[in-house]
Amino acid sequence: MIRLEKISKTFNGKPALHSLSLKISRGEIFGLLGHNGAGKSTTFGIMLGQVHPDQGEAYIDGISVQKNRAEALAQAGAIFETPGFYDYLSGWKNLEIFTSYSGWVKKSEIAVAVETVGLTSRIRDSVRTYSHGMRQRLALAQALLPAPKVVLLDEPTEGLDPEGIHEIRTLIQRLNRERGLTVLLSSHLLSEVEQLCTRIAILNHGRLVFEGKWEDLESVNLRYRIHVNDVAHAELIAAKTQVRVLGDDVYEVLEGNDIADFVAALVWDGIKVRLVQKERPNLEALYLKAVAPAASSKPIDGLSLSVKP
Amino acid sequence: MMLFLHQLGLELRKLFGRKRTYIGFGAFLVIELLILVFCQMPGPQRGLRRQMEGLGYGADQYLSGLTMAFQMVSFTVFILGGLYLALVAGDVVAKEVEEKTMRMILCRPVSRIRVLAIKYIACVIYTFSLIGFIGGTAIAIGVAWKGTGGMFAFAPLEGIVAFYSFAEGLNRFLAGLAVLALMLTTVSTLGFGLSCFDMKPAAATIITLSYFFVDMIFRQIPYFQSIKAWFITSHMEWRQVFLPHIPIPQMIEDGAYLMGVNATIVVIAMAVFQQRNFKS
Repeated sequence: MIRLEKISKTFNGKPALHSLSLKISRGEIFGLLGHNGAGKSTTFGIMLGQVHPDQGEAYIDGISVQKNRAEALAQAGAIFETPGFYDYLSGWKNLEIFTSYSGWVKKSEIAVAVETVGLTSRIRDSVRTYSHGMRQRLALAQALLPAPKVVLLDEPTEGLDPEGIHEIRTLIQRLNRERGLTVLLSSHLLSEVEQLCTRIAILNHGRLVFEGKWEDLESVNLRYRIHVNDVAHAELIAAKTQVRVLGDDVYEVLEGNDIADFVAALVWDGIKVRLVQKERPNLEALYLKAVAPAASSKPIDGLSLSVKP
Repeated sequence: MMLFLHQLGLELRKLFGRKRTYIGFGAFLVIELLILVFCQMPGPQRGLRRQMEGLGYGADQYLSGLTMAFQMVSFTVFILGGLYLALVAGDVVAKEVEEKTMRMILCRPVSRIRVLAIKYIACVIYTFSLIGFIGGTAIAIGVAWKGTGGMFAFAPLEGIVAFYSFAEGLNRFLAGLAVLALMLTTVSTLGFGLSCFDMKPAAATIITLSYFFVDMIFRQIPYFQSIKAWFITSHMEWRQVFLPHIPIPQMIEDGAYLMGVNATIVVIAMAVFQQRNFKS
């Protein structure tokens, strides 16, 4: 549904994207992760024809954004980190103005989008009276008009309170489920990506450092929570085997080793093992591991990633 | 075409939906009233009467609503017209970029050229509306205050000293407003053009105003008389319609010159806007 082919972009001599290639399938919720300045917004800008790439092309539903922008974007809706509105006009009038640039949109279609995002009761009010959450919902309503196949969401929950984040997240999941929308979501909120996305890509300094399923990242997690009756003794045994003590009952098995061997060694030495539980992977830790090589050129510890040139 | 008109209608709704737009209109009204009050003061009143009577015309007949309207429009446009048009035109694109609404528009399947064309036409319509408002209120206030009567058109720098009947004066006044609006589109166009560059709205306004200010001063310096025609403001003499014999060929030439300048600015602005990157 979305394809980026070897996209590069430089701003004032500073590279923002290096030969970025991505493929996002129809109906997928895809997450684009990266810190500020990683190249997420540039990627979005290029996909929307708002930023001209130095090299490469972006395709939406097989149509090149660079060669045939209008046709490509007819399939897409988008929202940005801080969406801009005409604050002195009503939400409804804002939707009329923005959607008019996509052609004729029926009032009934606008009403459905407004209802979908739960803004019906306030849509005739001036946007300046809206809360941040309501502005985000209005932005989402305009992105859903008129019936896109793809929505590009650049930091959609930025600045929202937990309730607002939950609302937007639920809405995105519902739209994906009910309308089969393909969603490309950028965020630096790792929990958001973790809960929403089936596949992710991680950008660091404009380079793609990981692309794949969340499970791919999860599978390389080798951390375990182990409760024993004699922690000091267990740590001595860990030192002799290929296990690193991370503290707080968390142990990390070094690559190529098996946790079962460590547990067997504990039992053999008379230590009572009360709990062995794989640590729920923390995306933040994995994310930091993923970007570490590019930032520091040190080898990735315990994590094998497809680092793209 | 219908869609284009629909988009243009919404653009105008945006433009006229701002309170600031009406604050500006209100400011013009206040200035007009101040000029009218000033003209009623004994000193200026005496001066006007003396001029008319010195030329052999009755002040009671020609110190009328139309004469007042002529003076009000001349001074109002000189004091505020350029400033306000530059302010609004400088906002048209740059403000939308600054407030990020432009990005919301540009993620739609519409070409940048079309977006700018809509905005530019709205800008021109606004210029005509503003001049229409200034002229309309000047006539309304003038006639309400001084009644109908002949027109005394007096603009010494342009060599205009003329007397007309009410009907002819009104026709010339309306024609003058149309010419003025057309000529002021160049101010709007420069403001609009600059706002398409990567700059703040205030910068576009200030550069526009500075340009016209410098242009107006330089063309009046004797040293530059030989190249006077190169100054844009030399071609903005809207009051020529009040000369007894209207220099139509000269006015057509001026109009063509200004339209050429406008077209050049718009083409450059569109080319620059087309190349710009929009990113938060």
